[in-house]
Amino acid sequence: MKGVRTIKEKREENKEPINKKLKDNENYMKERLDVGAGNFDVGVRNMEIFSDEIGIYYCNSLVDSSLIVELIRELLRIVDSHRPNLKAKDIIKNHLAHEQVKEIKTLDESVDNMLSGLIVILIDGEQVGLVIDVRHYPGRSPEEPDVEKVIRGSKDGFTENIIENAGLMRRRVRDERYRNDIMQIGERSKTDVCLCYLKDVANPGLLKTLKSELKKIEVDGIPMADKTIEEYLVKQGINPYPLVRYTGRPDVAAAHILEGHILLITDTSPSIIIFPTTLFHHVQHAEEYRQTPSVGAFLRWVRFIAMLASIFLVPLWLLLVENQSLLPPGLDFIGPNKHDYHIPLIVQILIAEIGVETLRMAAIHTPTSLSTALGLIAAVLVGQIAVQVGIFVSEVILYVAVSAIGAFATPSYELSVANKITRILLILVVGFFHVPGFVIFTTLLVIYLARVKNLNTPYLWPFIPFNPMALFNILVRTAMPLSRIRPSIVKPLNKTKQPTPNRK
Amino acid sequence: MGDTPRLEQNKTETKITTNGRVALIGLFGGLIWGLVGYLAWVLNFTKVGPGFVLAPFPLGKWKAESLGQLVGVLCVCVLSIIMAFVYKYALGKIKSMWIGIGFGLVLWVIVFYILQPWIPGIQHVTKLGWNTISTTACLFALYGLFVGYSISYDLESYSNSENYSKK
Repeated sequence: MKGVRTIKEKREENKEPINKKLKDNENYMKERLDVGAGNFDVGVRNMEIFSDEIGIYYCNSLVDSSLIVELIRELLRIVDSHRPNLKAKDIIKNHLAHEQVKEIKTLDESVDNMLSGLIVILIDGEQVGLVIDVRHYPGRSPEEPDVEKVIRGSKDGFTENIIENAGLMRRRVRDERYRNDIMQIGERSKTDVCLCYLKDVANPGLLKTLKSELKKIEVDGIPMADKTIEEYLVKQGINPYPLVRYTGRPDVAAAHILEGHILLITDTSPSIIIFPTTLFHHVQHAEEYRQTPSVGAFLRWVRFIAMLASIFLVPLWLLLVENQSLLPPGLDFIGPNKHDYHIPLIVQILIAEIGVETLRMAAIHTPTSLSTALGLIAAVLVGQIAVQVGIFVSEVILYVAVSAIGAFATPSYELSVANKITRILLILVVGFFHVPGFVIFTTLLVIYLARVKNLNTPYLWPFIPFNPMALFNILVRTAMPLSRIRPSIVKPLNKTKQPTPNRK
Repeated sequence: MGDTPRLEQNKTETKITTNGRVALIGLFGGLIWGLVGYLAWVLNFTKVGPGFVLAPFPLGKWKAESLGQLVGVLCVCVLSIIMAFVYKYALGKIKSMWIGIGFGLVLWVIVFYILQPWIPGIQHVTKLGWNTISTTACLFALYGLFVGYSISYDLESYSNSENYSKK
């Protein structure tokens, strides 16, 4: 395999060492970065310390200027107090009043560091540069993620800054065995990504696979951050169902770390990825763990019913209405009984489905000030007038609305959209093939999802393949003191979360 | 008051053996798909509900009603445990999930073709109608998938636990 070299290896070989003469370095940087003239946010400040010239390279859009001023002031102060009997570099390094100072040897590293928001000090006559971390990235402070709100519980959330996100995690898991393994992805964007895991719990096989897959990515940039990375790591194909779980909540993330999952933080994204994931990771919500176990279980069951309704209610209703003989005696009031509608029911349903979806999308893009007006139009026009005009039967509105609410009650947004696609396919199949269509499509769906296996994790676990204890934990939320074992699906090195008490 | 209080924290879980897990898989396979079958029977998707297992026995009128179907579900659970052990020893070592689906379909053929003359509740296949045929065949296939995949996964995951691949 000697002939094939990756871009990364080639770059490794062509690295330009730092020149002894500061002037040469300056020319190199000017040529490579167009410092000053064509690139307003990169710059250099030349100074003289002990008759040695130094150059401070910075990227002013990403640095904290007040910190740099402090550093420069300290450097100017040492000129007065020291005799130059030591090497200038050592004195300067010693007087950089910052905890993160490192030495570099190549100009490529100085360019990379400078464009990440660190400052690089090059000294005339030295082939070593000093890098100081004075980053200050534009960003917001942590706030509760919009899609995963809880009534009680912490209200902080991940931001677009990987350092802050790592900090939010570290604050919850102070374990010495907790690891933040950082690497860079993207030939041009050089985005930081970080794998978080418990060293003595997370499965080493999974960790190795994830690391090698991440290293294999050779793309110019990942502006869509975690989503792009997900597409490199799992085989999605045409499957609409979400294969990894995202969360914006540090408490949910920490809970998964402790269960033995591996997390991936991506810089510039306020959500992190949880590996490995099954379908049932998408039906749980942090709120359930903030209430008493019985209330949590109740909430969860309501949610399950809502989710099932969001898939099956409309197709089942269509099936029963089109084949009135199927209705059991107790349910034969379900209408419409008279054929006094003009448009076939299936067409009505499809129009209504597309209408609801349009409304939902419109609501996302509409500014808050206009959304009240939008809601009014939606409720009055679509709900009432469409029935009066005779386009819709009232039942269509009712069942489509209930299933839409079911979709909103789905904790995972990705899952609710996937369910929507399934529902529409099911409606079409029911419209054309009736009962056999309904049962065969549902069977094929279950078989298809059972066949999905990402990172060696069966997607429908613990239902198929069946694991009674794990399924029990999903159906009824158990009290924390009782859940003593980590879920076997992550294949943890250390299987227990808490010691088993001695039998008496 | 010297005793350890009976708190939730002090309960201990019991270890389940492989055979115990196979029995559980069989039991719940029968229960889950039996109940789905009951639902399909209530909605008239199929003329044959889980109560068909009671049909050969003279039990009275109730066996054709809802109660009979629910008792049928319980009988299916018991039969299902036996089926799970049959699967474990006959096909358990094969990893493909299609074998499980095939197992379910073979069971369907056995019930609806071979045992059919002895089960008064089931008409000849040609008279069942597409609704009943598709619904029951799908239920048997899903049951086979459930039992088969669960058992082979269970046997496999206890032999190697560090195998992760991208697929």
